[in-house]
Amino acid sequence: MNIETDISLQRNITMESRKKAKRKKVLGNYLFILPGGIFLLLFLVFPIGYNLKITFEDLTALNILKDQSFVGLENYATVLKDKIFLLSLKNSVIFTGLCIFFQFTIGFAFALFFNKKFPGRNVMRALILIAWMIPLVITGTLFKWMFAGDHGIINHLFMWLGLIDQPIHWLINDHTSLYSTIIANIWIGIPFNMIILLAGLQSLPEETYEAAKVDGAGKVRQFFSITLPLMKPTILTLLVLGIIYTFKVFDIILIMTGGGPVNSSTVLPFYSYEMAFTNYNFSLGATVNTIMLGLLILVALVYLWLVRKEENV
Amino acid sequence: MAKKLSGFLIFLSLVLILSSCESAEGKQDGKIKLTWWDYYGSEAAVAMNNAIKTYEKAHPNVEIERIEVPFGELKKKILLGAAGGELPDILIIDNPDHQMLAEAGILADLTKKVKVWGQEKNYFEGPLSSTVYKGKNYGIPLGSNNLALFYNEDLLKEAGIKPPKTWDELKSASEKLTHDDVYGMAVSAVSQEEGTFQFLPFVWQAGSDLKHFNNKGSIDAISLWKQLIDNQSMSKGVLTQTQQDVALQFINGKTAMMVNGTWQIPVLEKEKKLKWNVVGLPGYKKNSTILGGENYAITSTSKHKEAAWNVLLFMQEKENAKKILIQKGNLPPRKDYIQDDYWQKDPRLKVFANSMEFAKARAYGAYYPSISKEIQKMMQEVLTGSMPAGQAVKQASQKIKPYIPQ
Repeated sequence: MNIETDISLQRNITMESRKKAKRKKVLGNYLFILPGGIFLLLFLVFPIGYNLKITFEDLTALNILKDQSFVGLENYATVLKDKIFLLSLKNSVIFTGLCIFFQFTIGFAFALFFNKKFPGRNVMRALILIAWMIPLVITGTLFKWMFAGDHGIINHLFMWLGLIDQPIHWLINDHTSLYSTIIANIWIGIPFNMIILLAGLQSLPEETYEAAKVDGAGKVRQFFSITLPLMKPTILTLLVLGIIYTFKVFDIILIMTGGGPVNSSTVLPFYSYEMAFTNYNFSLGATVNTIMLGLLILVALVYLWLVRKEENV
Repeated sequence: MAKKLSGFLIFLSLVLILSSCESAEGKQDGKIKLTWWDYYGSEAAVAMNNAIKTYEKAHPNVEIERIEVPFGELKKKILLGAAGGELPDILIIDNPDHQMLAEAGILADLTKKVKVWGQEKNYFEGPLSSTVYKGKNYGIPLGSNNLALFYNEDLLKEAGIKPPKTWDELKSASEKLTHDDVYGMAVSAVSQEEGTFQFLPFVWQAGSDLKHFNNKGSIDAISLWKQLIDNQSMSKGVLTQTQQDVALQFINGKTAMMVNGTWQIPVLEKEKKLKWNVVGLPGYKKNSTILGGENYAITSTSKHKEAAWNVLLFMQEKENAKKILIQKGNLPPRKDYIQDDYWQKDPRLKVFANSMEFAKARAYGAYYPSISKEIQKMMQEVLTGSMPAGQAVKQASQKIKPYIPQ
């Protein structure tokens, strides 16, 4: 009896000290995430929180030094009722959809091409990356000049080929302005898609292809039955990243069309910028941003759901 | 280990807190330190720095820190600075922004100081009006410019015409001057403040104004531009051309005439092959032009308003002001200074100098940026042909109504 209690007591003591040690260790671990935590808090949580806060206020340039009043959901109502908001939402969807589709397919084609071994491959691959490396201001200006109505090279080319007999003012025509910016943005995005897909392709096991070849599978069959399924995680990540990046594109629009003519190429980020920095209504700008954030979170959630489904299989 | 680490982290956060608390303004060893923001670049920046150096030499107890911000960034920087409580003492701002910043409470009320100084009578009405808001002075004009009609002398001689003085002459001259890949006329109708800046003089010439925009004058003004485009004597590309782009077209001989400002003179003078001259903007119901340029202001948060005011007075003295104005390609906002030979002897500068008497400022209250945005939209609607002039003007006048001060 005595001995038994002694033993259990002893066990209790050792457990206690172990717990203490464990607690200490846990504290130490938490300290490790402290710097990262502070960083996130300062540069992510705080700005987003502040952004959210001013969507419920009436902050403009004119009362920036005075008190702002709480307006509830009025800003959201104003924005959602605004015709230009609906137009820019539609433009954003067209812009993102078309950009992603062409960037991805052309990028994939390039990736498959550069996955083959041929002389000069590395040089050409590096050259293609230039499009990704040029600052957006320069790319935007170049495309603005190329699409220019009077002296633009694109009109020159089309007229020389006899496709058109009058120069088209691409950036001033409300039917073509958005598509001109889309073409510029596709050009910019191809290299990024190519590089990510190429990295994915290069990590695919060669034996599988050899086995398929032995079994008599053709190139097309190999692509659809081996490449695509194995690349699925890469493709998913790339598409989600692409959608988020493209949805936020702003510079190209600002430089090439300024959202015009008459808002025909205004996308959501540009609309938000105009609200905040042309009309100096910071609250409305923040509201548009918050709506955009909500939409992008939805995209991310779909991605997470797809990834989990994949893992469960 | 954990103890050491946490100790280090606490130290680190203390350093961060302390360094962020360190005060930037204030007196150091009895010296008054003033900060100064402007958007003067290249030669104008050199002139500004020299003027500041001269002042510091004469006033050893004052130190001025000048920060140069790109033109497009300054307004944003000021608003962010105001929100964060980090404004400089002295600001140089584009004149159409002056009233908005005054309404926002960013600028100090200088009415008393201006009264004591007693020199505001010497200023042209346009520049002075841009510094006044609700009857109070919020700054003093620094430099001015306005718009006129530049023309290529060779191209006009070739076509055998004289520079147009009226809208009708402008239309026929533009048509005659257009051939091959040369356009007769160019303006900037870009969807930025520049576009409104170029358009407003035509509105005023037609007897209209932003305060009563829905009338025939406004329709006539935008129709004139539309006709020039429809006749192909002006490129549809004007919708994307900034004033700088327009000047480039002019330099390259792609356009025979253009509306542009005083600041283009030094640019064009560098083009030795180009023979050009300038006349006042062609008139319609009356002659009119628009005032550009910038003003000095002191911030409401400045702790050294007296010292800052003294600096501004020094900068307004003729010799100091003249150097800065010349390097910036600006005109003096003062009637007395403009009598100087520099602006009177050069016939091209004299055209601009003469217009200062009637150059009108964009003094339309604190909501002018929103008004301007609507005008730009109206211009795009009409010039792209997506809406008839009458309808677009009516719509714009309804949209700007709430922004116009009563």
